[in-house]
Amino acid sequence: MQNGYSRSAVLIHWIIAVSIFFLFVSSWWMLALPLPSKELTFRQFPFQLHKNIGITIVILLVLFLYVRFRHRPAAAPAEHMPGWMRKLAIADHVILYVLIFATCLSGYLSSSYSGWGTTYWWLIKLPYWGRKDEELNLFWSDVHLWASWLLLAVLSVHIAGALYHAFRNDGIVRRMLRM
Amino acid sequence: MTDAMAANDQSRWYSALGAVAVVLGLLLAVSHANEWMKQAVIAAATPASQQLPAANCPEDELAEEGLSVAECKHMVARVQAYVVSAPPWFPTVQIVLSVLGTLAALASAALGAALVNLRAWAPRVASVAFAILLAIDGAGFVAAVNAGPIIRSEYLWPTLLWFVLHLMLLVACVAAIHDEAARK
Repeated sequence: MQNGYSRSAVLIHWIIAVSIFFLFVSSWWMLALPLPSKELTFRQFPFQLHKNIGITIVILLVLFLYVRFRHRPAAAPAEHMPGWMRKLAIADHVILYVLIFATCLSGYLSSSYSGWGTTYWWLIKLPYWGRKDEELNLFWSDVHLWASWLLLAVLSVHIAGALYHAFRNDGIVRRMLRM
Repeated sequence: MTDAMAANDQSRWYSALGAVAVVLGLLLAVSHANEWMKQAVIAAATPASQQLPAANCPEDELAEEGLSVAECKHMVARVQAYVVSAPPWFPTVQIVLSVLGTLAALASAALGAALVNLRAWAPRVASVAFAILLAIDGAGFVAAVNAGPIIRSEYLWPTLLWFVLHLMLLVACVAAIHDEAARK
């Protein structure tokens, strides 16, 4: 067993991190853009990009979990991670993964029922799973919204934990910052 | 203080500074990337006449987004206000600064990782990256100052906040370099 995470896991982790924060920042901006019409096309590119990045995050997360469990790092030393902290870290990670999936999936379902199609990275036209259904669109849109707020809260705990270990210099954060 | 204790203090300091640099570097990279997209989208979707068409506010869309008709109209007015108030040079300057800012921010995050990993060269290289970020913030501040009151109200304060954060990171890095030199 190695001390840190594998290089692939480290790389995917940081790509997912940047992507998630970009989706938060860009969505707050794009939702204040004018509602679309034939002449008002401000939302077109940001919404497509938002969906593309969201779908890519799901693919990357599946890849990350595969790599993460295939190359397990050695457990953190007990003196740096008491029992309650270890349990909190495990719970935080599990909830984080579930919320990332839930946020991306609910966003995609909401988009499907809105009647707007998705062309993945402007290349692959994704199958049109849903039909235009305003009620289901609203339902999944609400799930997407609340899942993303929860995700932000859990991410804050995740970042706080990482900073705590970095400030203590106990080597735990170094496992995900391998050069 | 013994040499071992001083070295331990130093490595703890590098680890803390590096972790903060990683978090701030990532947040700044996405902030700059969003600014880059913002400018490009507004430039591409604004008609040549710079006059935006009337707002489109169908009831189902208003219900979906929880908007009133007044808010829907204001969304168009906000973009129109930006288009009218930004001087012609401003979008280009913002795109250049935000592209450079995205790259420098990602570099500073990577250098933060090098600090956490206690690489000997990291403080010097990181101080250069923070100085570049400081210069980008400074240039953004000057651009906003010269772009009129509406642009100033939107850009000055966040730019100043980032400027102060980068100033703190740069000073922390320089202090670490001097500390290391004094220890030798």
